[in-house]
Amino acid sequence: MGFGYMGQVLWVNLRAGKMTAEKVPERVYRQYLCGTGLGAHFLYDRIPANADPLGPDNILGFLSGILTGTGSLFTGRWMVVGKSPLTGTWGDANCGGNFAPAIKRCGFDGIFFTGTSPRPVYLCIEKGRAELRDAGEVWGRDTVDTEVFLKQTAQCKHPRVACIGPAGEKLSLIAGIVNDGGRIAARSGLGAVMGSKRLKALVLGGSARIPVYDRSTVRALTLQCNEAASFQPPFVSGEMTPHLGALMRVLPTQVSTDGMLYKIMLRKWGTVSMNQMFIEMGDAPIKNWKGSNEDFGPEKSAAISPDAFAGHTIVKYHCYSCPLGCGGICRKDGKVETHRSEYETVLSLGGLVMNNNADSIFIMNEMLNRAGMDTISAGGTMAFAMECWENGLLSAKDTGGIDLTWGNSAGLIALLEKMIRREGIGDMLADGTRQAARRLGRNSFDYAMHAGGQEIGMHDGRFDPGFALHNCVEPTPGRHTIGSQLYYEMFQLWKRVPDLPDVNFLYFKDSKYEFDEDKARAAAACSCFMNVLNGAGGCLFGAFLGVHRLPVFEWLNAATGWTYTPEAYMATGKRIQTLKQAFNIKHGITPSANVMNARTLGRPPMEAGANAGRTIDIETMMRGYWRQLGWDEQTGRPGPPAKGAG
Amino acid sequence: MAFFITDRCIGCAVCTRVCPVGAISGLRNKAHRVIEQLCFDCGACGRICPHGAVLDAERNRVRRIRFRKKWPKPVIVREKCISCKICLDACPTACFDLDYTPGTDDTIGYPILARPRQCIACGFCETECPVDAIHMVKQAL
Repeated sequence: MGFGYMGQVLWVNLRAGKMTAEKVPERVYRQYLCGTGLGAHFLYDRIPANADPLGPDNILGFLSGILTGTGSLFTGRWMVVGKSPLTGTWGDANCGGNFAPAIKRCGFDGIFFTGTSPRPVYLCIEKGRAELRDAGEVWGRDTVDTEVFLKQTAQCKHPRVACIGPAGEKLSLIAGIVNDGGRIAARSGLGAVMGSKRLKALVLGGSARIPVYDRSTVRALTLQCNEAASFQPPFVSGEMTPHLGALMRVLPTQVSTDGMLYKIMLRKWGTVSMNQMFIEMGDAPIKNWKGSNEDFGPEKSAAISPDAFAGHTIVKYHCYSCPLGCGGICRKDGKVETHRSEYETVLSLGGLVMNNNADSIFIMNEMLNRAGMDTISAGGTMAFAMECWENGLLSAKDTGGIDLTWGNSAGLIALLEKMIRREGIGDMLADGTRQAARRLGRNSFDYAMHAGGQEIGMHDGRFDPGFALHNCVEPTPGRHTIGSQLYYEMFQLWKRVPDLPDVNFLYFKDSKYEFDEDKARAAAACSCFMNVLNGAGGCLFGAFLGVHRLPVFEWLNAATGWTYTPEAYMATGKRIQTLKQAFNIKHGITPSANVMNARTLGRPPMEAGANAGRTIDIETMMRGYWRQLGWDEQTGRPGPPAKGAG
Repeated sequence: MAFFITDRCIGCAVCTRVCPVGAISGLRNKAHRVIEQLCFDCGACGRICPHGAVLDAERNRVRRIRFRKKWPKPVIVREKCISCKICLDACPTACFDLDYTPGTDDTIGYPILARPRQCIACGFCETECPVDAIHMVKQAL
């Protein structure tokens, strides 16, 4: 047995009700790490070409990271993998909370589900035994009720639960998988895959110890990292954030962003700290991507300021192994008690639909968490519906009397309720914008903002072209958590991989929109690094500290006993990226078809606001990115053999 | 490698009650044995065994500590603690809870030893704490 990882995965055949532990050779960990890399290793081989994502041939995997449970920090993310029913591509999602170490404590690096169960079941692992149990009692319940019930039923000391809610059960293609009463692995529609397998939940209660090669070195690195993570000046104020954003918008130059700024804000408010700042900078899309900061100015966005949410926070919380603690539980008017909304949620249910009613965002956030539905996709789909309403493609007759005028918060809540229940118009919208546009027809495709079928995160590629690029080229399109120019600045990868291009301390903002080979290398490096980080179980917000402060490469060596250089780990990340792309090719995906809606790329350019006049040459960027990864620059196809190469 | 029960065992079964993972099997008044696949080296069986019948993974005899109240307990240094919850996860008997201080600006919960009687002195919390904020301290009667 090696170190850092548990050395085996569990296979659960839901049709036959059989379970098999499979030993994984050390060379596989060395090639693919854990997390999404290990998932790609298995799924590439074992999901047959063109398998129906909601059929028995799809495989759903839950994985932990190689650094999870080793004493490193920011390494408590768990990952779900499978073929995405939303995009038809490689699908993955990851989530914080406390579920990640539970997988390893049960003695496995991953748990994979094959087949389809004839009746609703959940997997329970406790006291060293794994069994499928009848889920009749909890089928139909929301995620919070399900978790509470299953924790009471379990025999072990501290069971961890991941489950789907009604959205996943009803096969909504924008459904996710939830743990800790509302933290959701939301993207790629993998909650629908779980629902299609009639798998309601996983209840994990193991106590296995996680082997670490050199715990004292891990701890020394951790103490260094914690020094940076715990630095917190007292002077930051929520009122300053829109002014900071406006200042950054009007200045012709920009200072290379150090993630310590973000870290300080995340620690104080969580991700909602970015709400107004990003609107003012032009990073947050407004009014289904056709509006600008001028349509949702500071006086309007004040209602969703960081302080508006912080004021209702009754408890802050940390995910497993996190020193930052960006999570919070809010109570609103003594009625709604919910996880504090994230930036993505507030903007997709706020600025994107022109809604500045914070109460309604509290309510919808809780509805979505309980239903197990992706807030980004739900908001994006409701924005689509509102634009269809504005242009006469939907009427009160279609919506069951719901008024979908921009910003009508009551209408949004009513519409969301229908989407969760798949009632009336909700049934049409419950599978995201692409499916909704297919059902509605006419010119509704013009209003469907997605990449490859997945709604786009709340970061505008017309502000930072790196977001546009990664939305289009990632094996799971429409993801905002892999790379961008901003992320590259914050990762500071060149401090560990000297061959990578450095970013000037001060640069003209116009240079962001000139795409050159260095930017292509930086983008490819972001993808490779995020594969390493996901394989390690790491958190993106931790990576914002920079690799010189978050010693991922050094932790990996200390925890496993390996002696790889950062360059070698980046090659591992490239290998994983190539395998995921090869998965897409195997399943008939045309990479160049995942380009976002023309509007999101500035075609035509906006006439006003922070991003006025900008058009993104996405085709050139995609070619450069594919070239840097050694793939065919015209088609995005990796050369054979993809697996094991690199 | 797991712990081991020698032929000193008389089958009093006190170890089966303290083992948090059900890794000891055997009939009453018959010699017990450790199930290697389940044992995770917490050592509680050895600390409680009245007959000194338990050897650790290196085959050294585990010293009995006669009164359970005297078993070492974790003491948390609040100033060092970062509330990462690793100790809550590492504890096999769920001894810890998060403690919130009402009426202050600090809304973060910090771990406290909420159920000291459940503690089996395994020291996993001390071992896994990434910032050296937990120390196992011997207890006096």
